Amino acid sequence: MTAQTRTRRWPWAASALSLLGAFTLAMVSPADSVQGDLVRIMYVHVPAAWLAYLAFAVTFVGSIAYLVARRLSWDRIAAASAEIGVYFTGLTIALGMIWGKSTWGVWWTWDARLTLTAIMFFVYLGYLALRRTTDDPIARANRAAVLGIVGAVQIPLVHFSVVWWRGLHQPPSIIRPDGPAIQDSMMLVALFVGVVAFTVVYVSLMVKRIELMHLDDRLDAAERAGDQPVAGEAVTAPNLGGSA
Amino acid sequence: MTSGFWHQVRAVADRDLLRERRRGDVLWITIPFGAIALLLVPLAVGTDAALLREIGPGLYWVIVMLFGVLVAVGKASSDTVPQQDASLLLGLDPAAGFVGRAAAATLLLLIFEVVVGVVAVGLYDISIIGVPWLILTVLIVAAGLALLGTLTGSIVNSTSAGTALVPLLVAPLSVPLLLGATQAYEGLRLGHSILSWVLLMVAVVLVVAIIGVLTARPLQES
Repeated sequence: MTAQTRTRRWPWAASALSLLGAFTLAMVSPADSVQGDLVRIMYVHVPAAWLAYLAFAVTFVGSIAYLVARRLSWDRIAAASAEIGVYFTGLTIALGMIWGKSTWGVWWTWDARLTLTAIMFFVYLGYLALRRTTDDPIARANRAAVLGIVGAVQIPLVHFSVVWWRGLHQPPSIIRPDGPAIQDSMMLVALFVGVVAFTVVYVSLMVKRIELMHLDDRLDAAERAGDQPVAGEAVTAPNLGGSA
Repeated sequence: MTSGFWHQVRAVADRDLLRERRRGDVLWITIPFGAIALLLVPLAVGTDAALLREIGPGLYWVIVMLFGVLVAVGKASSDTVPQQDASLLLGLDPAAGFVGRAAAATLLLLIFEVVVGVVAVGLYDISIIGVPWLILTVLIVAAGLALLGTLTGSIVNSTSAGTALVPLLVAPLSVPLLLGATQAYEGLRLGHSILSWVLLMVAVVLVVAIIGVLTARPLQES
């Protein structure tokens, strides 16, 4: 099996698992006794939040690896992951707001988890904006790597915010010392399928985005080479003073 | 770190402070700008004395974060590319350059915090409580903002966006400092221990300082 064939399989796997996830959340999971059907938003909201953590953690690792190894492939991994992370953080916030409006009666509340998630979103938006300010790939990678490391401070802050501050957002429901707070096994299955599906979507997007970035870099390098003066261009034919 | 390192730190800090003494950016632009902001807010939210006393401390720290960071960034991004090249050729350790610029910015930020603080106390009738802890908070915030601003200034230096990008990068990253400073004052007001908030701010300062020192060379090379 060639690398190209493997690359092509990820979108199919992501699509199939997403369909399975949609079926599970709509048909397999029961409605919640308190929230009713509104609970189904959680099967997308929670995996999207998990993916945002994963994506920014990969950006952190890619940034450190770039500064150590100085290979642009690590920078591409960090950048691609940050792009996907920003998208999924936005999705997490949007879905949370929709759920919050129906449950709490407001689109937004100054809860620590919500506020810090929004701040994390802007930190990585700044990371992406920074990448657009430099054409030189080495300079861009150096600068972005530093921000990729500094920005990672936000990840534990967001995750543990529900433990450190008492707010409206519920504390962790799955990874807890005394076991998951969700008792219904079908709800856990729906959540698990959602997490797996979103993770495969992430891998699929990463593979494609890194491939595209590699091609972009090659195109930029070719364009830069084209802008250079041709060897010997400075040399002109001697004017011998004769008429043509 | 050798004595040569600290000698370079001192030289860079002295250069930045001399530049500030000659140009007076902080004294004549940033400090008046911060004071005007404090003057404008009551016009927007109302001039009720009790309300202003309530929001005053938080507002002071927001002004320090948003305006104070301009002080550090201005110093960090003021070197032109030929100046940076000359520093490299002279053998200036990039880490010493980072620490020196941050040290100068810390001193300027302290001046900014004190002057704007006096204005805030006067305009908003803010109570001064727990003076030793308050001084410690002011010092830590100055160092933290200086380090964050210097690091961010180094990142954006010579980019096409220049310092326009800085607020987007620094504002979210300075949130732990803002939280620590405002909660520390609130803790002092209520008579609670503020050690955990002070430790949070110290941790931020240490993390940013370590990252800044370790990444100074790759940033200078870019």
